[in-house]
Amino acid sequence: MLTFEKHNNMSTEDKNLHHGEPEIDELTQDRYLGGHEYDGIRELDNRMPRWWLYLFYVTIVFSAVYLIGYHVLPEGSRWASQEMEYENEIAAAALNMPADPHASIDLASLVPMTEQSDMAAGEEIYNKICVTCHGKFAEGLVGPNMTDPYWIHGDTTTNTITVKDLYNVMITGVIEKGMISYKDQLNPEQMQQVIGFIFSLQGTTPPNAKKPEGHKFDVIG
Amino acid sequence: MELQKFYYDNRIVKMFAYATLFWGIVGMLVGVLVAFQFIFPELNFNFAYTTFGRVRPVHTNAIIFAFVGNGIFTGYYYSLQRLLKTGMASKWMSYVHFWGWQFIIVLAAVTLLAGITSGKEYAELEWPIDILIALIWVIFGWNMMWTILKRRTRHIYVAIWFYIATFVTVAVLHIVNSIEIPWSLLKSYPVYAGVQDALVQWWYGHNAVAFFLTTPYLGLMYYFLPKAANRPVYSYKLSILHFWALIFLYIWAGPHHLLYQSIPNWAQSLGTVFSIMLIAPSWGGMINGLLTLRGAWDRVREDPVLKFFVVAVTAYGMATFEGPMLSLKSINAISHFTNWTIAHVHIGAMGWNGFLTFGMIYWLFPKMFKTKLYSIKLANLHFWIGTLAILFYSIPMYWAGWTEASMLKQFTEAGTLMYPNFLQVVDQIMPMYYMRAFGGTLYFLGAFLLVYNIYKTVKAGSFVAYEEAEAPALEKEGKRKSGEGYHRFLERKPITFMILSIVAILIGGIVEIVPTYLIKSNIPTISSVKPYTPLELHGRDIYIAEGCYNCHSQMIRPFRSETERYGEYSKAGEYVYDHPFQWGSKRTGPDLWRIGVKTGKNYKPDAWHYNHFMDPQKMNATSIMPAYPWLARYEIRLDQTAAKIRVMQTLGVPYPEGYDLIANDDLKAQAAKIAEGLRSQGIEISDNKQMIAIIAYLQRIGTDIVNGEPAAK
Repeated sequence: MLTFEKHNNMSTEDKNLHHGEPEIDELTQDRYLGGHEYDGIRELDNRMPRWWLYLFYVTIVFSAVYLIGYHVLPEGSRWASQEMEYENEIAAAALNMPADPHASIDLASLVPMTEQSDMAAGEEIYNKICVTCHGKFAEGLVGPNMTDPYWIHGDTTTNTITVKDLYNVMITGVIEKGMISYKDQLNPEQMQQVIGFIFSLQGTTPPNAKKPEGHKFDVIG
Repeated sequence: MELQKFYYDNRIVKMFAYATLFWGIVGMLVGVLVAFQFIFPELNFNFAYTTFGRVRPVHTNAIIFAFVGNGIFTGYYYSLQRLLKTGMASKWMSYVHFWGWQFIIVLAAVTLLAGITSGKEYAELEWPIDILIALIWVIFGWNMMWTILKRRTRHIYVAIWFYIATFVTVAVLHIVNSIEIPWSLLKSYPVYAGVQDALVQWWYGHNAVAFFLTTPYLGLMYYFLPKAANRPVYSYKLSILHFWALIFLYIWAGPHHLLYQSIPNWAQSLGTVFSIMLIAPSWGGMINGLLTLRGAWDRVREDPVLKFFVVAVTAYGMATFEGPMLSLKSINAISHFTNWTIAHVHIGAMGWNGFLTFGMIYWLFPKMFKTKLYSIKLANLHFWIGTLAILFYSIPMYWAGWTEASMLKQFTEAGTLMYPNFLQVVDQIMPMYYMRAFGGTLYFLGAFLLVYNIYKTVKAGSFVAYEEAEAPALEKEGKRKSGEGYHRFLERKPITFMILSIVAILIGGIVEIVPTYLIKSNIPTISSVKPYTPLELHGRDIYIAEGCYNCHSQMIRPFRSETERYGEYSKAGEYVYDHPFQWGSKRTGPDLWRIGVKTGKNYKPDAWHYNHFMDPQKMNATSIMPAYPWLARYEIRLDQTAAKIRVMQTLGVPYPEGYDLIANDDLKAQAAKIAEGLRSQGIEISDNKQMIAIIAYLQRIGTDIVNGEPAAK
């Protein structure tokens, strides 16, 4: 155990400075240290609490084990570095990853969903994601206005814009204009819901509408 | 033995105490303002000087260096003289220290609000103020050591050990972390970049907590708690072991602020284990404090001073247990970048520092004014309001932190993020921000009761400016005597004591920082990482000036939940030109490191950034980001470009020779292109606005390794 001071024989200094002061604390029966008095503050000769010392020792042992486990053991039996941990996490996730729901979609089967519940779901998605760039009422902000009949990504051969066209925009994104792909965030059903909602806004005339961009197309939905 | 007569200078104590109260009120008021800015973005007032990014550093600096700083000096000037049985060695040094410190605080408030900042947390002040701080600190320390040498007591008490360790360590920390090269009268770049800057900064930042908020306050506790309780200190042996263990171990723990970030794994591990080993040494102080009250617990029920001390010491014990737990990687992965950290630091600041200061002030004023405290009842009321305030503050913030981590890390069964929009998390924790603001306001109101109580006490009392005392002179005593313990011997050798303290605190810092310079493998270089263009460099300085790092990180940790949200995790080699680093420590908003990556998940076009800066709520109705309309008005300071480039060259950033002279040509060309693009979107803006620069910067950060070759694994 650690000892810092010899107490078996009191030093001359202790005797000199200790005149008249009690050696034992009345309230706790602990022993005072002779000569330890600073502006009236005295110090007791108590041992360090055992549990405290053991706590200290345990943390030191923990630290040794920690450092050995992460850095000293031979490579291979060492605990994972953060880079390894990451690779393991990604590998584990890949094992459980369900198939991409967009991969098996038949584009021709896509329809805008117009049921009441689908419209509500579509509106919710719109307000969560699209609103940032297309505005609260789809009036256009950074992205184009989607309430007027002018569209950028329609089919110029048939002069129409369909669910399929908007679905493709959402799958691939329009990187140069700042629209990212949403294929990881929305499944085909959600995309059809939000497209249904967007098409339902045709002909509304929100305030601060952005000027038309693209061509005038017929909405087929 | 002949008694010598001398005087204790109470005037300096009183001045520091008034400054403590004054800055305490100011710092807390600013805290209340920033808390409400989370709820009402309008409270940023669309005005540069009152925006969160600038005001938050004023709050932290005011609480740490103005409120707690003056609190340290109040207790220190009172106790030092009495523990050494002498007046201060130099009166003028005491007063230069006082006025110098207050002047620094005023300069800090003005410059931070003006956007003049180094961008390093808790070390935001710029180079002229850094120099002034160093000077004033040395005057303070010189005066202290001189006073210690003039003492009439043979030994120095444990409180003074802590004062000495505080003096030398803060000096070392401040000077090393502030080595910077000025490029103008008020601005500079730090010599460290990226990983090194992060390590130095958090070595500093962590030890600002250790040696500014902890060791001096332990010193104060060792004096004021036994004095107020009139009880002996529980264990001298415990004092010795916990003191040396604390100062030696503390200095190593800095890297626990950088777990799972782009610093070497070995440095992180050192941060973790030294934090764990700190539990017992920290608790040594709590135990010695609480056990000193044995036999006096009945008085704790009646005496508000002791009540404040008991909660302070308990809060200290809680925070110093929580800290090491947060240093475990698995817990840190959850807590870091969230409001959990905010809760943790406020347990420390409100509980430990605040309550110890309040208790000390309630005890000191009646003593110095030879009277009784005006109202024990009011003090008790303050105690209860303050205690409730801490709970109202911290519980919602813990809750928020936990909520943030759970939501941000949650995946759907389809393997995508459950909450891909960061704002969903912000929306969820808004009620917690409300409650926090309430708790903070309560704490602030409590402090008013203190001020009122002290005002009435001062009015009723009569101040003793110079208190007479007498003691015999100290006889010289040389070598260690037989039977004298080694440490007991050291306690009468203050200079040796100081030197040993320096040695104890230098070891950890040297081991952790020097290898990042010497061993190349610690920061693998990436050849596609290139210096910022002059326009981007200007943008970076605007990012720093506006304090964006207070809410946004530039550090993607290697977790699936982060790479899925933000993109490829950050690599050490990406930051080699970042003087200073801007990794951040809290995500009130999302990480920005890969926001410019066009194929990434967060890419936004220039026009979006423009609109978002002008009116964030127009882009995201529930966003709590302030607006930055002045960025579209203020112009880029072309006259500063050359000086910035030259300093960067001095720091080793490979701009071609003579580039400083032509840098503005490149700047103008890049700016024209961005402004052209914005104008094509119907936005009216000229090429020379700050907006253009900050957009250029945001579109550049974190893109080099994506556009170039892939980073080395």
